[in-house]
Amino acid sequence: MKPLITLTKIETRVFLREPLAVFWGLVFPSLLLVVLGLVFPGAQQFSEDLGGARLVDLYAPTVIGLSLITLGVSTLPTILATYRERGILRRMSTTPVHPSRLVLGQLVIHAGVAVVASAASIALGRVLFEIALPANLGGFVLAFAVGTAGLFAVGLLIGALAPTASSGQGIGLAVYFPLLFFAGVYFPMQVMPDGLRTVAELMPSGAVVRSLADTWAGQSLQIPNLVVMAAFAVVFGLAAVRLFRWE
Amino acid sequence: MRSKRGLRHDRAMAIIEVRDLTKRYGGRAVVDEVTFSVEEGEIFAILGPNGAGKTTTVEMIGGLRRPDGGSVRVMGLDPIADPRRTKEILGMQLQESQFADRIRVGEALELFSSFYPSPVPWRQLMEELGLSEQERTLFSRLSGGQRQRLSIATALVGSPKIAVLDELTTGLDPKARRDTWELIEALRDRGVTIVLVTHFMEEAERLADRVAVIDRGRLVALDTPRGLISSTASRQVMRFRPGTPLDPDDLRDLAEVETVTDEGGTLTVTGSEGLVYAVTSLLARRQVVAHELRVDTATLDDAFLALTGREPETEETER
Repeated sequence: MKPLITLTKIETRVFLREPLAVFWGLVFPSLLLVVLGLVFPGAQQFSEDLGGARLVDLYAPTVIGLSLITLGVSTLPTILATYRERGILRRMSTTPVHPSRLVLGQLVIHAGVAVVASAASIALGRVLFEIALPANLGGFVLAFAVGTAGLFAVGLLIGALAPTASSGQGIGLAVYFPLLFFAGVYFPMQVMPDGLRTVAELMPSGAVVRSLADTWAGQSLQIPNLVVMAAFAVVFGLAAVRLFRWE
Repeated sequence: MRSKRGLRHDRAMAIIEVRDLTKRYGGRAVVDEVTFSVEEGEIFAILGPNGAGKTTTVEMIGGLRRPDGGSVRVMGLDPIADPRRTKEILGMQLQESQFADRIRVGEALELFSSFYPSPVPWRQLMEELGLSEQERTLFSRLSGGQRQRLSIATALVGSPKIAVLDELTTGLDPKARRDTWELIEALRDRGVTIVLVTHFMEEAERLADRVAVIDRGRLVALDTPRGLISSTASRQVMRFRPGTPLDPDDLRDLAEVETVTDEGGTLTVTGSEGLVYAVTSLLARRQVVAHELRVDTATLDDAFLALTGREPETEETER
């Protein structure tokens, strides 16, 4: 346990010294919500087209999804592939502590950053736009946890296999933009055609944003959303564990 | 050559035993039935050209790769069956392994010290390796020599009985290389057994108590540096231009002389030990002055050439 604690402490400091990871994973989602709410015309107006909600209300769960996607499929695989390419994983395999601990530490750090980024978005939304706090808090936390696991598992599999930092980054980006699309970052899921929305909810990013939105509004967590997120977590997670290349 | 300092036990114990060790990739044996043992407290060099199987050999000793045949014992432990305990007593510095760009020197040492049950105090180690001023410096800002010292420090922080150092001085400038050599000798004087993987003759000749020469996966020689030189290249070579004519046959009559060749007035004389004394004595008796006299003694380079049929690599080819 002691190695994992020291490792997580030191790797957190290393992570926070990486300006790009901090900006895109931690700062940008909140910034997007703030800019959208302040600049986009009518973002704070109740709209019939959006089912009587405001654009900022719909966007709050989306920016949380954005944070999870960025950390999970962009930042995480890039760091893991870098650690492989630079021989950091191999170097650690010469010590009594297996390099899987380093991977575990990275998952803990990314999950921690996701929690902080999401809490910041919720707090800023509350203060600036009077967005209500999640009404079904238990369902919200469950959706956040399982959704994080599903998205991080996708990134973990990329990071398990990519031989170099640039290939990890490249594969990550190829997966990143479709996931953003299905999360409703470009336009909200609520205005997607029914067929497209069904596809989106089969993706971990769509499922997490939909279930965060539902529970935020006080509804219960939809079982199909939960199953999609859990399935990605289990299938991609197990594949990553089985296929992880340590050198 | 300098005499070796350090602890040579009268009855040295084998701390590493390697027997018939074999590793194949795609049917080709990259390590082919290699057998040797490393004694406690010595500096043991594994020397060979690039791609000879040196690194694969030490990776199997360190438990990073599973042998396809033969056995390894590190203080009686099987590195595959007992990786954790093996890695606690064997510290490894790998070729081209790095750290995260944004980790500080002090953090890297603190991190690696947390991996071991009874580490040496890492600040003390940092000071011994001359890295104290860099405690808060990011890895990406370290010089090549500083990175190498950090790499050595992380291999030593677990207080290992054995340190395996792979291509330690590759890419270092001469000053940093000499400093590193002194560091290794100091380490040996503290009782740490050192396995040094290198393709630099000079490094093996200067540091090693014994040298294993590996070529194309096979162990081709195992001896002290001096022993290797004398067993494979015992001949001495003299070249000079006699000031007054000298009959080559007079030289050939000397017992120590093997061959004499005359190239445009310059004589090249080869022979066994005692050649120089015998020839200079003859010249003195005949009152012949030897101009441009050169005497070449064999080096480990010559031994390497004789063993592997290849020129050893030089620092220039490395860059």
